[in-house]
Amino acid sequence: MRQKALLTVYELAKQDPRIVFIGSDLGAGTLQDMKEELPQQFFMEGISEQHVVGFAAGLAQEGFIPYINTIGTFLTRRSFEQVTIDIALHNLPVRLLASGGGTVYAPLGPTHTAIEDFSLMLSVPNMKVFAPADAHEMENLLRSLVNDSNPHYIRFGKGGENIVTDEFLEFGMKPKVFGENNSKVIIFTTGIMLQHCLIVREILSKKAITVTVIHCLYLNDLSLRSFIPMMALSNLVLCVEEHVPRGGLFTQLIHECVEFQIPTSNLHQVSLKRFFSHNYGSQADHLDFNGLTAPKIASHLESLLESNIR
Amino acid sequence: MIADYTKLANEIILDQRSKDLRLLVLEALEGGGRGHLGPALSLIEIIRVLYDSVLSHDPRNPLLAQRDRFILSKGHGCLGLYAVLADHGYISTSELKGYCDFESKLGGHPERATLPGIEFSTGSLGHGLSVGIGMAMACRLKGEHWRTFVLIGDGELNEGSNWEGAMHASQHQLGALTVIIDFNQMQASGEINSILNLDPIGAKWKSFGFDVVTVNGHDIVQLEKELNTSRNSYSKPKAIIAYTVKGKGIISAENSTIWHHKAKITREEIAPLRLEVSQ
Repeated sequence: MRQKALLTVYELAKQDPRIVFIGSDLGAGTLQDMKEELPQQFFMEGISEQHVVGFAAGLAQEGFIPYINTIGTFLTRRSFEQVTIDIALHNLPVRLLASGGGTVYAPLGPTHTAIEDFSLMLSVPNMKVFAPADAHEMENLLRSLVNDSNPHYIRFGKGGENIVTDEFLEFGMKPKVFGENNSKVIIFTTGIMLQHCLIVREILSKKAITVTVIHCLYLNDLSLRSFIPMMALSNLVLCVEEHVPRGGLFTQLIHECVEFQIPTSNLHQVSLKRFFSHNYGSQADHLDFNGLTAPKIASHLESLLESNIR
Repeated sequence: MIADYTKLANEIILDQRSKDLRLLVLEALEGGGRGHLGPALSLIEIIRVLYDSVLSHDPRNPLLAQRDRFILSKGHGCLGLYAVLADHGYISTSELKGYCDFESKLGGHPERATLPGIEFSTGSLGHGLSVGIGMAMACRLKGEHWRTFVLIGDGELNEGSNWEGAMHASQHQLGALTVIIDFNQMQASGEINSILNLDPIGAKWKSFGFDVVTVNGHDIVQLEKELNTSRNSYSKPKAIIAYTVKGKGIISAENSTIWHHKAKITREEIAPLRLEVSQ
């Protein structure tokens, strides 16, 4: 996903001199071709995220569209004030391309895992927050919103994810629906968890439990009003996200439920736990530990449905 | 012989225009009943010279494409900027009285969205330099020829982000960028050297790759000379260490931490300050 995103920025930059790429010591070879072909639009700055975000704001204020890429935690935690004041307060079209969303960098420990990035970015006025599910959706997003005037935060997955959104050829901000309008279970999810939730759907379909998965690429607005009839017909709504329990997709869901007077008694959540992990291993290990693998989500749903019946 | 700039800054006699600008600052301070007086009076000559005879700018067209960019990174010195902007017609002088009112254009820190002529909103310290570097880079990329000036407080240099920016300005050889340090040698809690020693300040900027000059920050002639030097786009950026006096021109506010920021200021407190300006 990251590779596709950076190559897309390079492609876009060839056609649009306003587009510049900024990295903070991202490693040798990053966008080497762009560096050689478009040296004026390529900046590999020092390890200085506060500076880099301010620098991007200055460029954007003068008409450029900077795409900054580095590890998500550095963009959200390290430079939060620059993101808030320099970019968001001035409502500048800076794109924050956040590598290592969720627990991708699990082996590197808690300094590198972006477990609360949605919460931080969704709290900032003017900031639009996106979590694409795969490279197809990522490319569509980048190509479609070049001229959007708001700042963007875009969470990257690990890379190499299966392409699961290719049936949606046109870009859209509204959630993508996988399934029917009258399923027993509705799952709201975002980012790479869509992959896992689609497997949940397959697992449960074999047990005659119908599941509709709703993937929220754009977390600021879930357009929940359009799902009211579907939710009314369901027995259970589950929110699945690779994020701490509060401040992310589930919180957005609750807000819109309240706004549209949708009952929340059947609303449940599976997420990362509410504490810092001191384990390493892989992203898969962490998803498993948190019950975020397809078999565990499916099993959790079955027990929830059972307890509902009782 | 090296000049004693601290002494020169303390001893210089202000002209009538500098006094008039200080009276405008007091208008706003009285209207708002609060504000950063000392920090505004140390930098007011720097801003006066910038707007009088250095910056390419047009009060009737604050977004003039080829204007020089000026960022007051030390946003809490904004009363000085407001006085100069009012004097140049960006706002009417009567608007100064509304300082910090709910619907005023003039907040306790300057905002681009509310006041035409403010290049970038500042307030939290250590932001202006990197933004200015982005603007200077944009100018280069577009093949334009305006200059970028960033005014930073000495206490503000406690923020590490300034030094990140300084390294990058030098790395990119942004010759069209000028940094001015309002070196009044005081910060909110007292003398800067008792809190975080900046010595040797000029050598620091030089070691970060800047051309460094030192001036008396209340001397109009010196400021004009050093701010107006023509700069090659690909060369060292420039740092001007401007020795100033916090609260300059109002004796009871000079070198005073009390007047760094004060709230609940009464008219009775303002009246003697006006007299001190006129002395």
